Amino acid sequence: MKRFISQTLIAAAIAGCMVATGNAQDDPLEIGVLLPSPIADVGWSHALNEGINAVKKKYGDEVKVNTIENIQEGPDADRIINKMVGDGNDFLLLGSFGFMNAGLRLAQRNPDLSFIHASGYKTADNFSPFTAKYYEGAYLMGMAAAELTTTKKLGVVGAFAIPELISTINGFALGARSIDPDITVDVVWINSWFDPAKAQDAAKALIAGGSDVLFSNAQDTPSVVTVAEEAGAYVFNLNSSMKEYAPTRYLGVVKTDWAPFFVASVDAHIAGNFEGKNEWLGMTDDVVVVEDWSSDISADMAAQIEATQADIVSGARHVYDGPLTNQAGEEMVPAGERLEDGAILGIDWHVQGVNTPLPQ
Amino acid sequence: MSTLEFFLAGTFSAATIFLFAALGELVAEKSGVLNLSVEGMMAVAAAVGFAVTFETGNHVLGFVAAGIAGIFVSLVFATATISFLANQVATGLAVGILGLGLSAIIGRDYESMTVTPTPGIYIPVVSELPLIGPVLFQQNLVVYLAFLTAVVVGFTLTHTRIGLAIRAVGENPHAAQAQGLPVFTIRYVSVAFGGMMAGFAGAYASTIYTPLWADGMIAGRGWIAVALVVFGTWKTGRIVFGALLFGMVSLGELIAQTMGSVIPTQLFSSLPYIVTIIVLAIISTDRARMRLHSPFSLGETFDGSERR
Repeated sequence: MKRFISQTLIAAAIAGCMVATGNAQDDPLEIGVLLPSPIADVGWSHALNEGINAVKKKYGDEVKVNTIENIQEGPDADRIINKMVGDGNDFLLLGSFGFMNAGLRLAQRNPDLSFIHASGYKTADNFSPFTAKYYEGAYLMGMAAAELTTTKKLGVVGAFAIPELISTINGFALGARSIDPDITVDVVWINSWFDPAKAQDAAKALIAGGSDVLFSNAQDTPSVVTVAEEAGAYVFNLNSSMKEYAPTRYLGVVKTDWAPFFVASVDAHIAGNFEGKNEWLGMTDDVVVVEDWSSDISADMAAQIEATQADIVSGARHVYDGPLTNQAGEEMVPAGERLEDGAILGIDWHVQGVNTPLPQ
Repeated sequence: MSTLEFFLAGTFSAATIFLFAALGELVAEKSGVLNLSVEGMMAVAAAVGFAVTFETGNHVLGFVAAGIAGIFVSLVFATATISFLANQVATGLAVGILGLGLSAIIGRDYESMTVTPTPGIYIPVVSELPLIGPVLFQQNLVVYLAFLTAVVVGFTLTHTRIGLAIRAVGENPHAAQAQGLPVFTIRYVSVAFGGMMAGFAGAYASTIYTPLWADGMIAGRGWIAVALVVFGTWKTGRIVFGALLFGMVSLGELIAQTMGSVIPTQLFSSLPYIVTIIVLAIISTDRARMRLHSPFSLGETFDGSERR
């Protein structure tokens, strides 16, 4: 209800623009994009939008992109997705987990359309969920953090305790402890995708508790990053670089570059061979990219990180290679084995070294 | 800064947002007007305050602009409810939603941008004291102003003619009018004062407490402020206590997690509301006691007619 007015205005405006367009053969391919937050200079929606821009760049006039931003998950979103389909969009990008069920229903009803959906798990012949393997990048950030921490305590500000975020925190902890097994990780869940003030308080609480490297996990605003810079703690985040908000203390970014995947999906739709499947994309697919590394990382460590990265890309090493133990010290993955994708996608336990118990 | 120092010092700064907004709402409610649009007023003011601070680099200007923005939104509400006798609850909700929408439009070009916060004030000597120093004497100037405002509002309501007039209008507008008090003017001014205070709360949130703008950043704090007035049973001292308590709860949730607490965090998040419901239930059990606490004509429209 919060953004009802703006939503309605925007939706109405876009509906107005789209009334005139038809569905004839030589019309451009209409791509509908639904984003959960405003397209800012940084953050989640920004990263998705950059991916769509790559599609625009490749196809030029052959595609027409209709973007609706800042739509919260919920009944209103369902209505808008319906409308987007009704307005003649043939390819849809749904940018948030909560758009899943409405999107899936429409996909089943309209077999000619193609859907890609962020963060979900349900699939159909023309409906592909996509997720980034953030944990691969977080593992490398953990290695860097291990070198720079003096308190041997790392902190994470997380939105909700869902598998995507838990698996990323585990990656961070595993990376750090691969360098120094004495390191531990504190986690604060703020139970909100969106509350910058609470995120900042959480960051301050972690710093007060002794953490000197912070991980801003799924926070769309530079809230945590600015607090870290002020307090002199290193910090990294996901999706897009926030280096300008922490010029001296920025550890790096685990960036998502959706361009290769979006372009490939649109290619497939145009060629008529779009195939709905779980798209779980990582460094091998050039979707997860680590960059903007802090200059405080030693050349030695940088080389080590680079070697690990090469191993992850080649498949020689996997973040979830055994032996892995959970917080209680029980062995979850024996040595020589690898946690399979399905288990990582649904992970509900922290690895040893994460101090904070998972909320029940 | 140790965890304890952060906890205690942070409580004061977290309480400041609630305190500003709740004091404003208190005055409006004391005059008999229930304005539920606090969340929306704060959002508009936060966006305006941020934009002005961002463009001018001047926090004072940002606060002034935010205060004016808050007054502006509150006057939309006041015109509908006081002059046109619209239902206060429905209008408050509508104006609140309007405010949230407006704030998104005003803040569009500033999404995720940041401003430099003003540094805290270091009062010499005493700020060096262990624990007490960082907690009481290194806060932002605005934090001190908020608590000072609480004293002024409390004193004005209970010990001055203006306060008496506001309370008289809130208790019985007919009697107040018969006595020659300008009921409409007093209500307009009280609601506008509430708007200004909500504006200051918004500016504090977007330029000092969390010096960035992001749509939706007020995140329910306006509603906590409304709840706080009930929690404090319309008494300034209790509202100050409640603001500190709610601030403490909001931080305690985060700190408890860093210490490995297993208490569900959602429980902490909902604590302010649970406590308010309990207080409301307690004071409502007895009709006489309820009348003692809440302004008698709260929420009722007044059309200026002589008889009742």
